[in-house]
Amino acid sequence: MGGIQTIDLKGFVTNAVKGVFQTMLSMSLELEEPPNFENITTGKHIVGTVGFAGAAMGNVSIFVSRQFACEIAAAMLSMTVDDIGSDEEVHDVIGEVCNMVGGDLKSRLCDSGFTCSLSIPSVTFGESFRTESKGWDRHERYGVRNSHHSALMEVYIKAAN
Amino acid sequence: MTLKVLTVDDSKTIRMIVKKAFQAYNCEITEAENGVEGLAAAAKIKPGLIILDITMPVMTGVEMLERLKGDDALKAIPVIMLTAESGKDNVMNIVKKGINDYMVKPFKGEDLIERVRKIMPLEPKTEEMDDKKPGKYFTQVEDVVVLTLPAKVLRPVSVEVENSLQVKIKDMTAAQLKKMILDMGGVSETNVSLIKLIITALQQCQKANVAVKLVANAKQGEELKGFQETSQITVAHSIEEARAAM
Repeated sequence: MGGIQTIDLKGFVTNAVKGVFQTMLSMSLELEEPPNFENITTGKHIVGTVGFAGAAMGNVSIFVSRQFACEIAAAMLSMTVDDIGSDEEVHDVIGEVCNMVGGDLKSRLCDSGFTCSLSIPSVTFGESFRTESKGWDRHERYGVRNSHHSALMEVYIKAAN
Repeated sequence: MTLKVLTVDDSKTIRMIVKKAFQAYNCEITEAENGVEGLAAAAKIKPGLIILDITMPVMTGVEMLERLKGDDALKAIPVIMLTAESGKDNVMNIVKKGINDYMVKPFKGEDLIERVRKIMPLEPKTEEMDDKKPGKYFTQVEDVVVLTLPAKVLRPVSVEVENSLQVKIKDMTAAQLKKMILDMGGVSETNVSLIKLIITALQQCQKANVAVKLVANAKQGEELKGFQETSQITVAHSIEEARAAM
């Protein structure tokens, strides 16, 4: 087992998010470098987060604008954006997308020797807010985008003592 | 014969995807949000198949599976597990517990159907079946029956729904089900036929001592206030909100 610093977090996370979007939404994403963090977090946006704990601890979040979140929900539920009845449906979809990305990351970590368990996803939504977490071995952000929208993935991770 | 499928997942999104996957087949879908609700539903409806998530609050899918396998009346029910975790240890752990198959999320509805077909035959739903089936507007979430109104409610449709409702209420009484949600969220136009149908449905439920809540979006809620007969009705904006208020 290598150290937590040697893990290919970027590959794990970006491949997971691309896979989820391709399979569940038939939506192709490409890497966006540098990530479009300010643009996503300035207006109304939604953050899905899932935590993992064990030999590796941390969390992985996905940030999307409210508009992109609605489009993701509509694609996932085979609806149009206008058909979405409530924010609850949008939040549930973003939570589930995050759960799938987190589940894939957790599996890669376990297979790399960092056995850990996954939490149930949480969703935060609002306007012009920031999330911050301290004391981690690694904190990384990766951007992905389709032709219209950007999404941001953020990972905090540390090895258990 | 209609296959009863129980989908147990805390995510409404996944339950909807599962439900849509089976839409083309002669299946009746029941939903549960966690292992506790799933066990209760399994004991009550004796499904022919369970689609079971792993990570859920209250009781996980693994715990529910262990209890299912420990219950003589339920242990033979085929189970397909859904997991967001594809790691070797996780897969080995669930395979050892006696499941029939598993799927790693993300997945497509058609892939799920392929897995199911490896375990049991699925009978495609015919138009004839759809038309004859009095329950085509109804689904069940735990002990709550949900009547989902179609996008357009014109007179012939409202008559059909009223007739189906009469049959359904009889079935509910026999099964001691006492809660119904009338979901008009998917209706595209609020017209007189819809209003009459809502009133009739509420009266039928009241007569049968069935508690009923109406689900509508904000715009529909405002439109209902414009009709004298429905102006006093309180609406919920989602099925979950309506269930919580029951």
